[in-house]
Amino acid sequence: MDELTREFLIESQEGLDRMERCLTDLEERPHDTELLADIFRSVHTIKGTTGFLGFKRLEKLAHAGENLLGLLRDGKLSANQPIITGLLQLLDALRGILRTIELENHEGEAEDGHVDAALIALLKELQQPEAAAITLSAKGKVISAGPTELAEPPAHLIHAGSKTAPPAIPDPETAPAPPASEAPVALEQSQETGKPKGAASDSTLRVDVVLLNRMMNLVGELVLTRNQILQATSLDPNFTMLSRRLDMVTADLRESVMKARMQPVSNVFSKFPRIIRDLSQLLNRKVRLVMEGQETELDKSLLEAIKDPLTHAVRNSLDHGIEMPDVRAAAGKDPEGTLKLRAYQEGSHVIIEVSDDGAGISVDRVRKKALERSLITAQRAAQLGERELLQLIFLPGFSTAEAITNVSGRGVGMDVVRTNVEKIGGKVEIDSRAGQGTTLRLRIPLTLAIVPALIVRSLGQSFALPQGALSELVHIAPEQVATAIEWLEGTPLYRLRGQLLPLIFLDRLLSPNLQAARQAESRSDEPMSEHDQFIAVLDADGRRYGLVVDGLADPEEIVVKPLSSVLKSIGIYSGATVLGSGDLALILDPGAIATRGGVAMGKAEVKMELSREDEEVEAAASKFLLVEAGPRRAAIPLDDVIRIERIPFSRVEYIGYRPVLNFQGQLLPIEDSAGVIASTAGNPTAEIIVVVCREGNRQVGIAVSHVLDVGAGGELFEAGSQQPASGVTLLNDHVTGIVDLRSIQPLPIASQSDFDQNSEWSYEAEPLPEVRS
Amino acid sequence: MSARSTAKSTLALRKGAAAPVMLEMCSVRVGPTLFGLPITHILEILGNARSQSVPLAPEFVGGLVHYRGEVLTTVSLRQLLGLPGKEMQGADTRHDILVLESAGGCFGLLVDSVGEVLTVSSADHEPNPSTLEGRRSVLFAGAYKLPQGLLVMLDPEQLDPMRLGATAA
Repeated sequence: MDELTREFLIESQEGLDRMERCLTDLEERPHDTELLADIFRSVHTIKGTTGFLGFKRLEKLAHAGENLLGLLRDGKLSANQPIITGLLQLLDALRGILRTIELENHEGEAEDGHVDAALIALLKELQQPEAAAITLSAKGKVISAGPTELAEPPAHLIHAGSKTAPPAIPDPETAPAPPASEAPVALEQSQETGKPKGAASDSTLRVDVVLLNRMMNLVGELVLTRNQILQATSLDPNFTMLSRRLDMVTADLRESVMKARMQPVSNVFSKFPRIIRDLSQLLNRKVRLVMEGQETELDKSLLEAIKDPLTHAVRNSLDHGIEMPDVRAAAGKDPEGTLKLRAYQEGSHVIIEVSDDGAGISVDRVRKKALERSLITAQRAAQLGERELLQLIFLPGFSTAEAITNVSGRGVGMDVVRTNVEKIGGKVEIDSRAGQGTTLRLRIPLTLAIVPALIVRSLGQSFALPQGALSELVHIAPEQVATAIEWLEGTPLYRLRGQLLPLIFLDRLLSPNLQAARQAESRSDEPMSEHDQFIAVLDADGRRYGLVVDGLADPEEIVVKPLSSVLKSIGIYSGATVLGSGDLALILDPGAIATRGGVAMGKAEVKMELSREDEEVEAAASKFLLVEAGPRRAAIPLDDVIRIERIPFSRVEYIGYRPVLNFQGQLLPIEDSAGVIASTAGNPTAEIIVVVCREGNRQVGIAVSHVLDVGAGGELFEAGSQQPASGVTLLNDHVTGIVDLRSIQPLPIASQSDFDQNSEWSYEAEPLPEVRS
Repeated sequence: MSARSTAKSTLALRKGAAAPVMLEMCSVRVGPTLFGLPITHILEILGNARSQSVPLAPEFVGGLVHYRGEVLTTVSLRQLLGLPGKEMQGADTRHDILVLESAGGCFGLLVDSVGEVLTVSSADHEPNPSTLEGRRSVLFAGAYKLPQGLLVMLDPEQLDPMRLGATAA
């Protein structure tokens, strides 16, 4: 293909994309001359260039379209729905031909040549002002007599929106649709993003993605080289300035290259007005599309990767979420449903939400289905909360089409959505309220190329474990290994806060010979290690297990390098990376390891990430922070805990006999009934741990020697009277005293307002220990 | 492009073209045998480089090597030929690695040592003997009769880990 044709293809595709956006906008504002001019321009450009390049078919079609658009632009016709439908068909036909040109280098002497003719006739027909609506329906039938499949299931329409579409087939179902005033889809799009930007093209440049990828690679390489140079020159003062400069330039360069790969999500969002227009007509729904945050940017490759999951989600929303207009009206809702696409950045992630105000998912039906398909046990189902039950729709066994359609929830291929999103290091959450709607939330990392990872060691090698799947780390001292890891008929388990966690030994997994040797060596499968063991508690696709490794190194931001297909097919590595030390490390795929290690999905515990509100609600129930203060253990209601501080002993000051902390002018009284501070008094470099709590409208600190755990407390009853005991709780099977915050005496200060909890604490707090995340 | 045309020209020569052509081959040694690879296929030679082993990988995979920002899969010629592995000694073994370019991308070839570049004449080329054992007959592309002994030609395309992965199973 020559350069000219390639250029033409790219330009025409862009033109058509813009035309599609404008057409769906036009439905909303049929008299917007600017929109019309823009559409006209796109078609006109195609017509002009095709004549030049000799694509006759394209030229004819574009010409027919241009005539119609000319009338619209000059105000001799006004855009109604049949006209827009006709133009959209033209658009699909043009796209189809462009696609053929791209693949076969010629526009294809259409076997559907008469479809071209019919389309041209239709466009001509539409130029007659009054006749338009009537003749269209007749015409629609004529066209549909052709050798083409008629109204297909929604899938057809979905494809019509994507680039792989076959040349459009006029659909008789959509043709005799109601007049424009009653258009079922109204589009709400913010003005500035909805309007095409014309002038920007002067200051921009098209760059091949391959080149960008290469640049990204080289920058990664530069970062590594810089790391090594920094290490090598750290002792030589002559180089300090130079290497610092190198450091800065490298960081800037890396940022710029990453930025160059970023694209606004509107590139993906812009497909949806059309998809929703077509789908809602087909399904007889009335849907209003609201899009927010289209300017949010995401790495190009990630954007590609979420296109399909998003389309899936939107389709589900329309098909199963939003009800028929009469059903909605009967339920007292606006007959027109709202589908909202929202993108925003949150830290190092971009969140994309697809929410509808439809029927929501019936949790009871989900539970029933899950039981029917024995994805969970009845006992387990009874334990799961609503939110956890909802997550079941992501299980692969759950997503057979008819099961979900009948559930009036959704989930057709939801596991596919989740798999695709998790493949790029993202997460999917769902939230639904019966009768009020459903929100699907995709949490996507900002860039693919750089991932935070924990470096673990096994078999004398380093491996990288993506931090996204890691929920906590457990250290087992050599002398504890024998007792801490329990065996159930050859299956290793660990008791994590009272719950059994299946274990996978990384070294045995990676070296089957080793496993055989060890099994032969001791029939009871006793672990034989005399050195430390670490358990990385992982949560992959809802499967929770512990990966036992020999050692841990520091977490690193790793640059992900692809593996050759030979190594990818091993199945448990998702890539490789070069560590700061210059060593190579394989990146482990937690999901694949779970599969290989036989950690079952449905039957194992389905542990779901709790939302922040849920955490608070649960905590409020009866969660406690278990601490050790001197010789005793004590429980502090987690709800009251604000944060945990580790401070040097030297910062403790005294008012009279009472220890206090001075936080930038604010005094925090410290309760030290256990004498923790007193016992460290001799050692000025020691650190003490202070749990900062809220009590009424003041804050108090409690000095403790260790923070042990977070757990749910059980109620205790007084023998005989069956009165609930106060001041104590059952935590990890031990009766534990609850710290009574109210008993802590106020400081001898005139006004307590200093401790008003609303007062600003600018001190950077250490995060709370994770509550089963 | 030039790489492939050279490969083709060797093929053509094998079928008995008239005028002898001089070709440049990089010689490598594995075990007792001297092997040759057309230098047009070689991107770089990494001397005494470390290859990171990959647990669970097929046997012919020597490991991973870092090359200009990319992580390349390496093929162990020793393993391929069924010779006792020098790399069995542990993860920290060092090798000479040839970085080769093939249709499927770049990969590394682990060899015992890399020798000099030899100029050979197409007139000295002989196709594989019919008695050559199965796998070797695929990997080898005949031999050049040199005064000091035979230079066994390797076909870089056949050494591509993707192709080996497909045929190994």
